[in-house]
Amino acid sequence: MKLENPVQSLFALLFGLLFLSPALYSIWLSFQTADAYYAGGLEFTVDNYGRAVGQYHFARYLLNSVIVSGIVTVGGISIATLAAYAFARFRFRGGDLLFGAVVATLMIPSHISLIPNYLTLAKVGLLDSYAGLILPAMASAFATFFLRQYIRGIPRSLDEAAYMDGATSLQVLWRVIVPLSRPAILSMALFIFIGEWNSYIWPLVAIGKDDLYTLQVGLARLYRINPGEGVIDWPLVMAASTISILPVLLGFALVERHLVRGITMGAVK
Amino acid sequence: MTRNFIKLAGASLIALVGSAHISMAATTVTFWHSFNPEKPNGQALEKIIDNFEAANPGVEIKPEFIGNYNDIVAKLQAAIPAHREPDAVIMEVTRYGLFADRGVLTDLTDYVNNDPLKEDLFGFAREVGVFEGKNYIVPFNSSTPVLYYNKGIFERAGFTEEPALKTYDDLLKVSKQITEKLGDDGITGIVAPGQFARWGLVMDNDSDLIDSKTGEILLDSDNTIEAYQWMASLVHEHHVASPDGVTDEKKGGRDAFLSGKVGIMMNSTGNYVRSKKALGDDLGVLPMPCNKVCSVPIGGAGIGILSTAEQDVKDAAYKFISFAASAESNAIWFSGTGYMPINKHTAEQDLAKDALAGKPGIDVAINQLDFARGRPRPPVVTWMRASEYGLWEAMALGQRDVKDVLSEFATKTREEAARLAK
Amino acid sequence: MARKFLPYFYILPLLAFIAVFTYIPIATSINLSFREWDFMSATKPFVGLENYQLLLTSTEFWNSVKITAIFAIISVPLRLALALMAASFLTSEKFAPRMLRGAFFLPSVTSTVSIAVVFSWVFSTDYGVANALLKHIGVGKIPWMQDPQLALLVLILVNTWKQIGYDIVIYIAGLQAIPQELYDAAAVDGGRRFHVFRRVTMPLVMPTTYFLLVISVIEAFQVFTIVNVMTHGGPASATDMLVNMLYRVGFTLFDIGTGSALAVLLFILLIALSLIKSRVIGRKVHYEA
Repeated sequence: MKLENPVQSLFALLFGLLFLSPALYSIWLSFQTADAYYAGGLEFTVDNYGRAVGQYHFARYLLNSVIVSGIVTVGGISIATLAAYAFARFRFRGGDLLFGAVVATLMIPSHISLIPNYLTLAKVGLLDSYAGLILPAMASAFATFFLRQYIRGIPRSLDEAAYMDGATSLQVLWRVIVPLSRPAILSMALFIFIGEWNSYIWPLVAIGKDDLYTLQVGLARLYRINPGEGVIDWPLVMAASTISILPVLLGFALVERHLVRGITMGAVK
Repeated sequence: MTRNFIKLAGASLIALVGSAHISMAATTVTFWHSFNPEKPNGQALEKIIDNFEAANPGVEIKPEFIGNYNDIVAKLQAAIPAHREPDAVIMEVTRYGLFADRGVLTDLTDYVNNDPLKEDLFGFAREVGVFEGKNYIVPFNSSTPVLYYNKGIFERAGFTEEPALKTYDDLLKVSKQITEKLGDDGITGIVAPGQFARWGLVMDNDSDLIDSKTGEILLDSDNTIEAYQWMASLVHEHHVASPDGVTDEKKGGRDAFLSGKVGIMMNSTGNYVRSKKALGDDLGVLPMPCNKVCSVPIGGAGIGILSTAEQDVKDAAYKFISFAASAESNAIWFSGTGYMPINKHTAEQDLAKDALAGKPGIDVAINQLDFARGRPRPPVVTWMRASEYGLWEAMALGQRDVKDVLSEFATKTREEAARLAK
Repeated sequence: MARKFLPYFYILPLLAFIAVFTYIPIATSINLSFREWDFMSATKPFVGLENYQLLLTSTEFWNSVKITAIFAIISVPLRLALALMAASFLTSEKFAPRMLRGAFFLPSVTSTVSIAVVFSWVFSTDYGVANALLKHIGVGKIPWMQDPQLALLVLILVNTWKQIGYDIVIYIAGLQAIPQELYDAAAVDGGRRFHVFRRVTMPLVMPTTYFLLVISVIEAFQVFTIVNVMTHGGPASATDMLVNMLYRVGFTLFDIGTGSALAVLLFILLIALSLIKSRVIGRKVHYEA
């Protein structure tokens, strides 16, 4: 093992900062007062966050995003794991065909369902509700596909041993498969969470009420409406933007490994 | 223990149902509007709503700020299959025909005929609510475009007295001088005209987008083309108007004028109070130019009621609509925003008197009424206005030839009109 | 015996969601694409192929196709070239490259709306960082978002900035799979660094390149968020990419028939691209075995 070259490390650090500088600078800006900024000065405040959270409801948007993404993640990963287990471990009539139908959805652009899903949820009165955001996001074909591949790599003898002990198939799933697939499940759960957290076009059309906006829709709207007189209040907008990237930013160092694993396995398999 | 819990739950349930019942005794009217609650216009509206609720304890108005007129149209149309339309809605005077035609708006003719308000409204204001002989909206905010200018900028650009701003050439000359003198300070001559001002400038050139009497599409008539050519040249040929105002009418256009970065802006008189607040004594107001003729469009909006609302909600909503157009409310509105009085008795109110005396320029729009014209509102106008934004960008930024664009646009608009009439 | 039905129970929730929110909507879209509707009329008259005909003869549609194609043609090679270059420096598991990989990767999991808003500010004419920096080297204000060509270029840059981390991760996986002996052999032959890159690295990551190529082309055809937030398809329709047009026609002009026809065309196009992708992946699997 060679020692790390400190010059290289420093160079990498600088380059990384440079690459991320637009985002970092936007966070820096979010702590400045608008007046000083436009006058070319520098003055610090946390007031932008106060206004974003209070006056512009970003606390509410944050809550909405957490609830929706949370439920979609838990529900989506459960549904995917259950289906992946069935596809990986059971031979049943039509199984291959149905699995094919699931995988085929990976090719289907989500935009074709935009207008129909709007009409479907309108019909059952679920637009402008958490359910309207959650239900269309519940099926994750990619997670199902990925987990099926993963589960197939777990030796069947472990299942058999559990069955010998009198376990039911659900108990096998819960006691054998899930613990052994934990890294894969974690990776997929993260993907579902991030995808839902950042989703935009569906919440944009499905939600018309301020108190149900997600962070993404709320942020886009704040930017478009341009509160304040005259020029855009960039520090305020940047405070709102920072709030909406915060969870990913905070969790990134912890989960990067899992994300990378998920992406590369998905691409290569 | 469990039993106690059930009892408690039961009691709270009863309390909940009970309280829900009490709050249901009051009629709630959801109301979509276009006035930002943080700006003077939104605050004036809030005041009117508060007054109404104080006078009518049984009715609660739930206002919701949606965005501009175009946003309201889009959101309303999207809301229909979802059954999430409001009870009452502000609709721009040329864009509600589609919704009246499709039965989305309630026919208010009977309400209006039985309302003493009818006699108090100015003729021009009453007219805006009538589509195919029936009354669908009641005027709330009426406007004409006016010409705002920044006196400070004019002085710094070397104008010792107010220059003539009557013709296209006048406007161009002044805008050029400002841009030449102050361009280095980031100041431009004129705001690229917004859609309302564009319509006004076409009328100044003795034309129209759509004939107010016959409904004929005039988008490709020579004078319309000439007007658009001139407007587009401000941006891409003479560079006296910033393209920022083309791509974003609000942020790049009006807001730039409000922050003192542009010399001239033609826009609705409804921006008067905001502009006055932002620019103070630097704000000057003039009538719209008269290039070939003097003619301005009557704009603004009225409030309509959705067909889907329950009868008692409709009644309550109409009460509010009528209240909002009363002399007292209208005086609050006029003095708080700069929109024109629509009620004959508004001028008798103290608030209105004070405004007329103390806010120079607030009366410019009123004085323009002699040559103001209502505009037709067949269903196709909604489509036409929604489509015009993108085409204007192409013309103003010099991407496409004005004549080509307008000829094609006229053809498409005629086709769309025929399609809508089917 | 109940056991026989168990697997069906396990896949039922997934299939139900997929059926309701993916498969049935395809049928609905196809149906609507043959009709005329504005969300308001009580009837949806059948108009045959009229919507498709209108679409295929409109300048708008071909403009969107053109813009989307330009976006893909510029952004995809740019992304892949930069990503491969970066990846080839970052394959080692030491601290510095890992950290830099993290930095590159971060935007790809960050909110697109935030990124779009931040870059709207970076490229805003008056208070943007880009123009502030240019001022230092004596360049005047550039109206980034008001110039049709520049606006598209800005969108391409933003998209590249956001997505490149993903490409790098995939490339690194591809590069790490190349056996070290091949490099050693090339080095023994007296190959220089560039020579090794061209003769060993490039051909051996070709399958990865194919994969990324198709994935990013598919993505380019689905770009919406940055357009919606930064330009709304403007200025002068210069960034009116296909999905933006779909949203515009469907949810601002409410021409549901034409919007659905557009969705169906987009669907067919992307399915075709995906089929190419499956064949490419097939090739890659074959190669690895």
